[in-house]
Amino acid sequence: MTSNKPPYLGFGLGLRPQHYQEILEGAPAVDWFEIISENYMIEGGQPLHMLDQIRERYPVVMHGVSLSIASTAPLDLDYLGALKTLAERVNPKWISDHLCWTGVHGVNLHDLLPIPYTEEALTHVVDRVGQVQDFLGRRLTLENVSSYVTFGQSEMTEWEFVSEVARRADCWLLFDVNNVYVSAFNHDFSTDDFLHGVPRDRVVQFHVAGHSHEESHIIDTHDHPVCPEVWDFYREAVTHFGPVSTMIERDDNIPPLAELVDELNHARSIANEVSGGKRLEAAE
Amino acid sequence: MKSLKELQESFQRGILAGDDSILAEVNDSGKEERMVLFGVYRNAYVSRLAEILADDYQQLHSYLGDQAFAKLVKAYIDANPSDRRSARWFGRHLPDFVSESGNYAKHPEVAEIAALEKALADAFDGPDAAPLKIEALAALAPEAWPQLELQPHPTAIRLTFRTNAAEIWSALKDEAAPPKPLQMPEPQAIVVWRQDFMARFKPLTTEEAMMWDEAAKGVRFSVLCEMVATFAGEDEAELRAATYLKGWVDMGMLAGFQTR
Repeated sequence: MTSNKPPYLGFGLGLRPQHYQEILEGAPAVDWFEIISENYMIEGGQPLHMLDQIRERYPVVMHGVSLSIASTAPLDLDYLGALKTLAERVNPKWISDHLCWTGVHGVNLHDLLPIPYTEEALTHVVDRVGQVQDFLGRRLTLENVSSYVTFGQSEMTEWEFVSEVARRADCWLLFDVNNVYVSAFNHDFSTDDFLHGVPRDRVVQFHVAGHSHEESHIIDTHDHPVCPEVWDFYREAVTHFGPVSTMIERDDNIPPLAELVDELNHARSIANEVSGGKRLEAAE
Repeated sequence: MKSLKELQESFQRGILAGDDSILAEVNDSGKEERMVLFGVYRNAYVSRLAEILADDYQQLHSYLGDQAFAKLVKAYIDANPSDRRSARWFGRHLPDFVSESGNYAKHPEVAEIAALEKALADAFDGPDAAPLKIEALAALAPEAWPQLELQPHPTAIRLTFRTNAAEIWSALKDEAAPPKPLQMPEPQAIVVWRQDFMARFKPLTTEEAMMWDEAAKGVRFSVLCEMVATFAGEDEAELRAATYLKGWVDMGMLAGFQTR
């Protein structure tokens, strides 16, 4: 299995069809792109053709939304096969998905559903990550999700659970800055506790995104620009973890590429300030 | 304590079936009741799938209007829990669902508009194949022509409509007022395929549809010409067949041929 820590890539964006032409014609100031793996598990046509061209010019990472690593349903070998086939085509710098489940009994709820933080769930997830890593022949990167409920039966905090998964399964972590912020607000924990609670050497990527504030709770909608509070927490995360490949996630109300590049430049300037003006160079 | 499996089953029933037993397993937050918080998952499930269907069936949405489309979508979501990893496939049963539901029995164009949108989506990301070029056919020796067997582009899908759904779809796509729904005097043959990364469709005359369908089965060109002659007269049958063939090649509807 590939065991080297993924390289630092700099500042990236999610690849969205609205921006294909502009990316290919304009060479925007984006260091790398993240694709939603499922969107390219298709037979042919424009999306794969565009992806082939973009991956020739930019490093690409694959980000899945339906691995369902914590589900008690059996692992979907067809899905894993398609993921592996896509990875052979894309040659991604890493493959990530979410520390969550998406359905049981053959149903996909198309959502990132929360896990009870129990020893039972931990053992189950660690076992499954091992199986997936063996199948793919590489380490997985797992992301903490936003959640809206907690379970009465939980025996540990989310960051303890996340950290134990990373240690026991020997996988990487995608630290979603916005998700920590959202879940901390929803469940009254301190973002700092989460930040300091996960192993620094496991974190290989940041997500930064916008959300919807509903007064009593926050919903992770990825349809707004990043808010000042999340930028503040991003600054803390960069200060704590050092240079980590950073990506702005926007899945709805997708603005022109230039607007996202501006937002990305904001992340860049925060990271540069934190590093004392020393410009952070991507590995490639 | 519920096992992880039981907990997930209960959570899923809570989302899909409105079963509240999951609420005994989750907590209120300091600011909100668990019913509201769990409701985020319930709402997200329906709204996400509704958004997917609205995206996949844009002209159907325009044709029905917001209210009727929302009603259709709600009924479809209730009847079809998503069973694929990618949301791309969630709406694939919608044309059949409309046909079978009975609600649109007096409006057969509705299911046909849906079928056209589904076929266009399927052609858009269907298998790749280089289109057959006219030069390749031009290079064929005259004696090889009778044995010519044509291969449709792998994205090609044949539909048969009873209504003017294709015209309605085109008008809606152009943001023009759609024509009134009409029953066609004869079934309308349509081919949907992908050319230069664009999904497109072409209505065929009855004669052209007959020749396309037989060609797609691997019937040789000499036999296709005989069929065309039988269908609408021997006069210039080969010329008509060759004209159809050239049209298909020009539009990238074929991926290749073989002669044996």
